[in-house]
Amino acid sequence: MSEACLLAAKSALVGVANGDSLASAICAAMEAAAPVARHLQETTVDLTTLQETVDTIGLNLQGTMDGLNTLLLLYGGALVFLMHGGSAMLEAGAIRSKNAMNILLQTVLDASCSALMWYFVGFAFAFGIGDKPNKFIGNAMFALVDIDTHNTGSGTGKWIDWFFQWAFAATAVTIPAGAVAERFNFNAYLGYSMFIGGWVYPIIAHWVWCIEGWLGYGVIKPFINAGMIDFAGSGVIHMTGGLAGLIGAIMVGPRLGRFDADGKPVDMPGHSAILVVLGTVLLWFGWYGFNPASVLLINSSTYAIVCGRAAVCTTLAGAAGGVSCLIFGFARHRGWDLVGLCNGILCGFVAVTACPHVIYPWAAIICGLVAGLWFEFLCWLLLKLKIDDPLSAGPMHFGCGMWGVFFTGLFARQQYIQEYYVHGPSAAGELSKPYPWGAFYKGYNADGELVMSDGKLLASQIVGILVIIGWVIGMMVPFFGIFQFFGALRIPPEEEEMGLDRSKHGGSAYNGTGANTLGGLSPGNDVMRNNSPLGKVLPVTA
Amino acid sequence: MASPAPSGSPPLVIYSCTDEQMLEVTELVGDSATAAIVCSQYDCSFTAVSCVLKYLAAQQADLSEQMDGTAKAEVALSLDVAFLLFSAYLVFGPMQLGFALLCAGAIRSKNSMNVLMKNILDACTGAIGFYLFGYAFAFGHHANQTSNAFIGDHNFALSYTTQVSSLDSNVSYDGFATQGWHVFFFQWSFCAAATTIVSGAVAERCTFQAYLAYAFFISSFVYPVVVHWVWSASGWLSAFNTSRDGYALLLQTGAIDFAGGGVVHLTGGMAALMGAWIIGPRIGRFDASGKVNEMKGHSATLVVMGTFLLWFGFYGFNPGSNLTIATTASAIVVSRVAVTTTLSAGAAGLTGLFWRYMRTSTWDTVLVCNCCLAGLVGITCSCSVVEPWAALICGFVAAFVFIGFEYVVLYKMKIDDPVSAVALHLFCGVWGLLFPGLLAQPTYVADVYGAYGFGPDVKGSKKFGILYGGHGQVLLCQVIEALSICAWVGVMMGAFFGLLKVAKRLRVPVDQELAGLDVSKHTNEAYNGAIMPTAGGGAGGGGGYGSNGGERGSGFYTGAGPAGDTSTGGGHAANGGYD
Repeated sequence: MSEACLLAAKSALVGVANGDSLASAICAAMEAAAPVARHLQETTVDLTTLQETVDTIGLNLQGTMDGLNTLLLLYGGALVFLMHGGSAMLEAGAIRSKNAMNILLQTVLDASCSALMWYFVGFAFAFGIGDKPNKFIGNAMFALVDIDTHNTGSGTGKWIDWFFQWAFAATAVTIPAGAVAERFNFNAYLGYSMFIGGWVYPIIAHWVWCIEGWLGYGVIKPFINAGMIDFAGSGVIHMTGGLAGLIGAIMVGPRLGRFDADGKPVDMPGHSAILVVLGTVLLWFGWYGFNPASVLLINSSTYAIVCGRAAVCTTLAGAAGGVSCLIFGFARHRGWDLVGLCNGILCGFVAVTACPHVIYPWAAIICGLVAGLWFEFLCWLLLKLKIDDPLSAGPMHFGCGMWGVFFTGLFARQQYIQEYYVHGPSAAGELSKPYPWGAFYKGYNADGELVMSDGKLLASQIVGILVIIGWVIGMMVPFFGIFQFFGALRIPPEEEEMGLDRSKHGGSAYNGTGANTLGGLSPGNDVMRNNSPLGKVLPVTA
Repeated sequence: MASPAPSGSPPLVIYSCTDEQMLEVTELVGDSATAAIVCSQYDCSFTAVSCVLKYLAAQQADLSEQMDGTAKAEVALSLDVAFLLFSAYLVFGPMQLGFALLCAGAIRSKNSMNVLMKNILDACTGAIGFYLFGYAFAFGHHANQTSNAFIGDHNFALSYTTQVSSLDSNVSYDGFATQGWHVFFFQWSFCAAATTIVSGAVAERCTFQAYLAYAFFISSFVYPVVVHWVWSASGWLSAFNTSRDGYALLLQTGAIDFAGGGVVHLTGGMAALMGAWIIGPRIGRFDASGKVNEMKGHSATLVVMGTFLLWFGFYGFNPGSNLTIATTASAIVVSRVAVTTTLSAGAAGLTGLFWRYMRTSTWDTVLVCNCCLAGLVGITCSCSVVEPWAALICGFVAAFVFIGFEYVVLYKMKIDDPVSAVALHLFCGVWGLLFPGLLAQPTYVADVYGAYGFGPDVKGSKKFGILYGGHGQVLLCQVIEALSICAWVGVMMGAFFGLLKVAKRLRVPVDQELAGLDVSKHTNEAYNGAIMPTAGGGAGGGGGYGSNGGERGSGFYTGAGPAGDTSTGGGHAANGGYD
């Protein structure tokens, strides 16, 4: 027992009863505790090194996760880009060979054009979060200049977000090409391509996908405290592109000879089913980037599960859509229709794109089956209305996209939604409860009771549909209208009859004396007069 | 944890506890087995608490060490391997397919089968050549040694790779990361890309034997030597060479060739130039007075498909060339590469479109495709070190380089290059090589190359593009790389094709060329069925150039579809010939 301790303790305890014995007890206790304190000190030193190691691990882990997420978006984006190849083949195969070169050019052009527009303005309008963000439009990162100081608020890194989102923008831009094929003025197409890639699409993307928007489910302050679920863009991309195409098809009018003098539709088959199949399978392949990679992050088990579910539901919906169109076609025509099957598959994909991460697999099958029938109905309706849409881009992308958005309001499961979304985080980081869910299920309300859905999600989905329709009509009708006013929307009848490849592109897509090159016989002029399977010479109505 | 004993420094003294201490320790740690271990490793004579604390600290340190090791070595390595494999799949699958379709579409249908087969076989031959010799010449060195600056000298037939790619290998773990199976596969996919560039340039007239020999020669020797110079850690042009006190051999800088604009495209393009020049033009390409006859490709659809597949493949080619993605810094580089690649292609495509429209008032699909590819080739060297706006400039100029040199090659040099491989890969490759010398951004250069031959003081020594105020070392290195690759490949391939020509083994006889190689050499055609419209049709054999086809009456084709299609499907696979 050290004397110094005793002295100090005693002097401190002067006047206290039993001061001396207390002092010696304290000193004894302190002495006994000294080794423990030393041990503790050593342990603390160990803990400091431990902290350093943990920090290093964190850094390495952060790097690995960044790498993993970048890998997902890089390959996801590349796959989405490959869908361009798919669309090009599909569109080329489904129209007559005399215009193949034209539509091929339009697809390549869409990729180039959208890249530039997306760089200069599109990305900024859609995902740029400026110093004073607003709900309507993004306002930073024009031409990527302030990429070091601003964030996108979605995805992982900044560069890869641009790339991944560009691939989607390019898809939205290229959808209408099929609807206006074989008769659209190339200048008008060029203008349209820039307009939709730089303005129409980015605004919708901002509303739904940017966290500063107002319409999406995951935004900071969602509409009616619910917001619209659109995972990979049934509404944002397919409805936008499909409706723009449909408006174009209506305003430009049907192809010459598509409807005979009595107004009855005349069959105008495409020139190569093989290209249609190639295009469909490439699109199918690309859709595995479109949907599963739209999870954007894959660095946790939950995200990995969501990503996997998206792949499963995507597959099932596409398959169901194909089967439904095939069987429907057989029931109507007693023939197994290959092109119908391909269309049905794509309809299933378009429809399920809104919700592959929040529905049961059996729901995906329902989604696809109905999408196929809905598509067939809309195609029939378009012909009744004398609207000529060579690729059925309107029914497929607009119609089935709309169905997919609506379907989400019915079949989205609350548990699955909670796995993926951070719903309406306030400035303080609080989440708004409950998570609104699909109308057909029970879910937990704010008080944790299991109740039927209040339909808020369904209402949001419907509002989303209406808003997108309104915006696209409001933008595209005047835009095409201006071209039409100056007579620059449609090519002259003689050029149309000759085929755009020869009049505008300096030659046919296929050269060779046999002329039955990729996709078959391609007598430029003759097709116009001889395309009826009945061998009837059609009156050319200008 | 499987083994509770700390692996760091096992205690030298074996301690033991009294029963009473044992009881206390057991109470603290929960089970008697662990308590026994604690008692044996730590001195519990004073208090049970202190020895348990010590034990726990050691356990945690050990655990974190293990976690650290796992995060670094296992997960990061797996991620890098996955990244490299998928990049290689993109470079091999879509790009080979893209080259094949592009070539097939851009030539006349009578030789489609021949060129498609050449595209498949150069991959096959290249795989064997690169396995036996190529990979060793490119990257081979003995363990813990460097090879010489000119050529690799070890790992023939993957002997070293086999050794390090094994779990119980006694070679350091790094051996697998840098020389493992996946690296060979990745490098081979690039080799296959370089090899296949030539097939289009000599299409429609090269003999099969000559082409096979060429594919073996370039993939086992010519290309790997270039790779060794530019990409290996000991090459004389390489920016990864740090043998001169931490700096590269060449000007203490080394050439910037991120994904192979020089190594792959310039090599392939130069070989294509020598091939097309030595083999001579196709019959009828130039008339008696030397005027150029048009020889159109047979299918723009195939050209577009090939372009999209190539563009798709470039997302493996360029971003994949970063080789690693498992750190935040490398993830940023990879994503920037994807952005610049896209922008260059886009700018080049639009430039080509408008240029041609201003000249001829037509919208030319095939030219737009070629220009997109020119933009992609042009950005390949510099995709990691330039700003997005610089990528636009790169693509813009690349389009003009392509258009200009396509004209020069055909009309001035009188070289018949059916798919414009020379203009595309050689000249755009040269432009791409020069580009980082002009516009390599200082910070990006430091990020990407600072850890290697450029040294840590990239900014201080001004090793970046001269338009940013750089001192021009980079530009000079780029020029030296371009010249040395041209010289090496030109001499090697010139001699090779020249010898074959002298031996009369290079070119097919005139009658076979006129008939088309599909009929004369392959006993059948790519497209069967003169009456049945098939995917890609083209049954007609003879010279189809100048004709857009289709003027003949189509009554011949009536109802000639295969029975199955008409009876069940309600139509043909290909429509357009009804009468």
